[in-house]
Amino acid sequence: MAASARFDPVTLEVLWTRLISIVDEAAAALVRTSFSTVVRESNDFACVLTDARGYSLVQATDSIPSFIGTVPRTIREILKEYPPQTLAVGDVLATNDIWLGTGHLPDITVAKPIFRNGALVGFAGTVAHAPDIGGRIRSADSREVFEEGLQIPPLKVVHAGTPDETFLRMLRKNVRVPDLVVGDLFAQFAALDLMERRVLGLMDEQALSDLAGLAEEIQGRSEQAMRKAIRALPDGVYQHETITDGFERPIRLRLALTVKDDAIDIDYAGTDPQVGRAINVAMCYTYAYTAYGVKAALCPGVPNNEGALRPIAVRAPLGSILNSRPPAAGGARAVVGHFLPMMVLLALARAFPERVIAGVGSPLWCLNYAGVDAADKSIAGMFFINGGYGASAVRDGANVLSWPSNISSTPIEMIEQLAPFKFLHRRLRTGTGGNGRHRGGLGQELLLESCATGPLTISFLAERTRPEAAAPGIAGGGPGAPGAVLIDGAPVDPKRQHVVAPGARIELRTPGGGGYGPAAERSPAAREADRIDGYTAHTGV
Amino acid sequence: MAVMNLSLGIDIGGTFTDIVAYEHDTARFHSHKILTTPEDPSQAVVSGIEHLFRTARLDCAGVRRVVHATTLFTNALIERKGAATGLITTRGFRDTIELRREHKYELYDLFIELPHPLVRRALRLEVDERTLADGSIETRLDENELRERVRDLITAGVESVAVVLLHSYANPAHEQAARALIECEFPQLQVSISSDVSRQLREYERTSTTLVNAYIKPLASGYLDRLCGKLAAAGIGAPLFMMLSNGGLTHVAEAKRVPVQLLESGPAAGALAAAFFAARSDEHNVLALDMGGTTAKLAVVENGEPLVAYRFEASREQRFMEGSGMPVDISTIELIEIGAGGGSIATVSELGLLKVGPRSAGARPGPACYRRGGDEPTVTDANLLLGCYDAERFAAGTVPIDPTAAADAVARLCPATGMSAPELARGIHAVVNESMAAAARVHIAERGHDARNFTLLVTGGGGPVHGCEVARRLGIMRIVCPPAAGVASALGLLVAPARVDRSASLMHSLGGMDWQALEAAYAALEADASAVIAQTLSMATAPQLARLADMRFVGQGYEVVTALPPGPYTESTERAIREAFERAYAAVFGRHPPVAEIELVTIRVRATASAGEGQLAVGLTNTDAPPRPRTSRPVVLAGGAAPLTAPVYDRATLPAGLRLVGPALIEEPSSTLLIPPGASAMVQASGNIIVTLPEADSASMP
Repeated sequence: MAASARFDPVTLEVLWTRLISIVDEAAAALVRTSFSTVVRESNDFACVLTDARGYSLVQATDSIPSFIGTVPRTIREILKEYPPQTLAVGDVLATNDIWLGTGHLPDITVAKPIFRNGALVGFAGTVAHAPDIGGRIRSADSREVFEEGLQIPPLKVVHAGTPDETFLRMLRKNVRVPDLVVGDLFAQFAALDLMERRVLGLMDEQALSDLAGLAEEIQGRSEQAMRKAIRALPDGVYQHETITDGFERPIRLRLALTVKDDAIDIDYAGTDPQVGRAINVAMCYTYAYTAYGVKAALCPGVPNNEGALRPIAVRAPLGSILNSRPPAAGGARAVVGHFLPMMVLLALARAFPERVIAGVGSPLWCLNYAGVDAADKSIAGMFFINGGYGASAVRDGANVLSWPSNISSTPIEMIEQLAPFKFLHRRLRTGTGGNGRHRGGLGQELLLESCATGPLTISFLAERTRPEAAAPGIAGGGPGAPGAVLIDGAPVDPKRQHVVAPGARIELRTPGGGGYGPAAERSPAAREADRIDGYTAHTGV
Repeated sequence: MAVMNLSLGIDIGGTFTDIVAYEHDTARFHSHKILTTPEDPSQAVVSGIEHLFRTARLDCAGVRRVVHATTLFTNALIERKGAATGLITTRGFRDTIELRREHKYELYDLFIELPHPLVRRALRLEVDERTLADGSIETRLDENELRERVRDLITAGVESVAVVLLHSYANPAHEQAARALIECEFPQLQVSISSDVSRQLREYERTSTTLVNAYIKPLASGYLDRLCGKLAAAGIGAPLFMMLSNGGLTHVAEAKRVPVQLLESGPAAGALAAAFFAARSDEHNVLALDMGGTTAKLAVVENGEPLVAYRFEASREQRFMEGSGMPVDISTIELIEIGAGGGSIATVSELGLLKVGPRSAGARPGPACYRRGGDEPTVTDANLLLGCYDAERFAAGTVPIDPTAAADAVARLCPATGMSAPELARGIHAVVNESMAAAARVHIAERGHDARNFTLLVTGGGGPVHGCEVARRLGIMRIVCPPAAGVASALGLLVAPARVDRSASLMHSLGGMDWQALEAAYAALEADASAVIAQTLSMATAPQLARLADMRFVGQGYEVVTALPPGPYTESTERAIREAFERAYAAVFGRHPPVAEIELVTIRVRATASAGEGQLAVGLTNTDAPPRPRTSRPVVLAGGAAPLTAPVYDRATLPAGLRLVGPALIEEPSSTLLIPPGASAMVQASGNIIVTLPEADSASMP
């Protein structure tokens, strides 16, 4: 079959199905061979196949939104430094540059060129969140990227099948948990090998000489579907403004979404400038999360590839908190970036509330810890938790769900096996869902105690702790409750790093989701069920 | 004279109940199919047995052994028809089941619906107690509080209670104490404790598994008691054994105690039957494809045994979507279910691609060609247009089908695709084949195997029609089509060896192992498993014992189940265990990580004993005359747009030893075997038909 041949609806469906099964298989292998809980319990990774120019064909089904479109873009950036003629069979390239990658250092992107009969035909790529990358532990408190850990510029880390010992020694020396970090990196390599083998097998079987024609077809069809969905929206400008907790003072984000014919332009002009702390968002991350919001609202069924994103343009002023310049720190970018898809939905909510959901108690929350154990060995790790989900025209918001990310919580039993903590509770936060015809999802509360033998350094990702940053309701629904972080019973600034003594008690209370529709329209049966199950306070509406 | 040495197999599905009686002395079997009686399933069993024994002139007193599989409990779970259930947890953790893992099974669906917990929040109560991660007890169980909370549950109408306490996998003392108290003081309640049902780390998954057990426990108890009573009343004094999800057998008492192990009982019997029929053709590495009206099921048989998994999902919110169901951590025959069956509907996606399934026309309205109100094109409609079926004889003539209706339905997709109806019919056939092949490919590869080293065994109404094409897409050259596919699962119950599995959590690194303690732990599991086997078979055969362990490199979160050398273990066994793990790991993942330390997470024991079967007499035509095709008809096959004329044979007329060359169609009352051009088929004395595909020609896509 010639590369330029048209693909009929059957051939294309068959080949596409095959390619998706390849990246899904690689994702399964990565989970099963990884060492950190970040990958295996929380799914913080993605697997992608691109053509020879670095344009994506398929991305694994379960990839989280922050990686939408980032891996192909990173591969194209790497190609600028390592053009095809410098690459050989068995090479692997890597980088964690925050502007070329995903906006923060722990995400290491690796890519392997795929050669067939001596010609470069594509890349296998994966990105995974490393359990540590050195520097200060991940905290909103850092002022420059240099504080945040080891920066890996685009580098060849495997030469024709042989891992680069210099690089590995350098990496091991710079991280707190070298076995886990390098173990995960090898799991990524294994996933690359698998994608390479499967793609070559497919090309042999189908007598495909390259992947470019297939990539064009896949992207072209996805693009057309997205354009069709956009065309169904009335032309116009839809706006939204959001306040986040920020660092020391709140941050204002502004969005203007312009629908014109079959394209969407999103402009964040008027958004606050970048700050001297690690909550700045690199443009790659701004794009990924904004595009996710548009796709979820308009075209959820179209597979995950760059074609679907072409009709969506995203702009933010250079130097703003949504398009940061070096050396801005970005370790806690999620606490700003996770607001972006919600802003898209809320902009559309005024005109089409039934197509979207109320505010979610996101961004993702996280507890990072570092210290030494009784044997003076460095320990470090993190676990994630989420807030309540937004209500919609069809149902109540789920009580605690990861959105817009899709990061799983780590089992308490697993954390207590691995980390110096004992939990006193992990439970739903009564009364924290926004009121409405449909109630917002409840947030959760965790109380844990340090069982470390010495001091522990801890930091958080935490947001929506100010009342003005609470998850809004839509169509007349009420907001969810804001969150809170307490140490030994006293509220603390969650953006700062803290050092806690043995026995200290840390309490995390995640925000609730917003409600949908006027509370007066909630059915008596639903109210009664809420009361019996303690989802609302006894006194409440 | 009545036959005095019989085994009886009973397989209850959602629609049909199959009864098979097997005569040990002659290796012959008799079968009967009867509609399931959902209000009291034991009713169909008893009337089915009476009918079968009357017509085959068998005597109930001659039954030595009864083996039973059923999908009743899975169906009860899906339909939420279980008992009023309550949950007792460690203080602070009653919401574990509702908090889940906070993960979405679908990333872009804003209106996502999550599985509702089996127990509402008001019936999830907490008690003071705390066990730590190392198994030490920090806070003693408050028995007074437990008593109060159980009373609260009873007042609220609860019939079955689950007790799930933190870290009970490490130390079950508190859960055991709670069970003792509840059983002693509240005998009307059924109790399930998590360390008994699924002694594994990860509190959400353990809670989910234990709740499912509690939810179906009263139902299982009542049903099994009733069935035993009715069998006894019918004059069958032999003991009843249940098939577990993992293909092992157990006695009724254990089945009543941990019924969650029975959820996949029916499909497990099917997989064992596939292994049995394949072995009769000397095929031991087999991919079993069972394609029915709504779904296709795939199971992998390796070295003659179906693969076993240690987790599955029950009652998925989105039927074929991973992550949308309730996790159930029990050992089960590994099956994947694909939304690809005869009734699967073809549509054109928003991208203009031809999609088939997972939506199905099912039995009602059924494919368009049934003319029962369905007007959407299905796989069966496409197959009919391609010439795979005889409109006059479809389903032995019981279902009249109409090619015109099929053509009209398929033609509905012409405008959106720019393809003709014949092209679309071929396309539907190709897409459904690829979706089965893709699922099989990922499934096999996740286990570190290459599909090309397997043989495909096809059953179900659709398996024989699609099997050769699915095989070709997987690079598989041999296809086995067994006889008696209609009652294969019930037969599987009788031919399976008796097997019992036991496991325990260990969580210890290999270096610094306490070898005496490890040996004692294995020995205890072996004693327990052997005892159950002895009861199951009521004969003095010593079971074969195998030791396994779930192992990983320290720091990893997923384990590789590794077969270990036999005991007893001492310090000197360390090296053999390490090597066994490294081999198993390399077989699945290829590359070793740069880590040396290995740990054992769970230890497992498997006891097996042959039940003495293995022979099966199959009635074949005994004639030297070369069989003549009943007729011939044009059929369109993959890779060729022009129809070829294929002879059509009646399977019942084919003698052993016969060879046929494709294209050809071999018809049975319930299915049609499609043999593509260039392939050859051979009828074996075993009753199986073996199809061998020609060397692959790569340009024949799609």
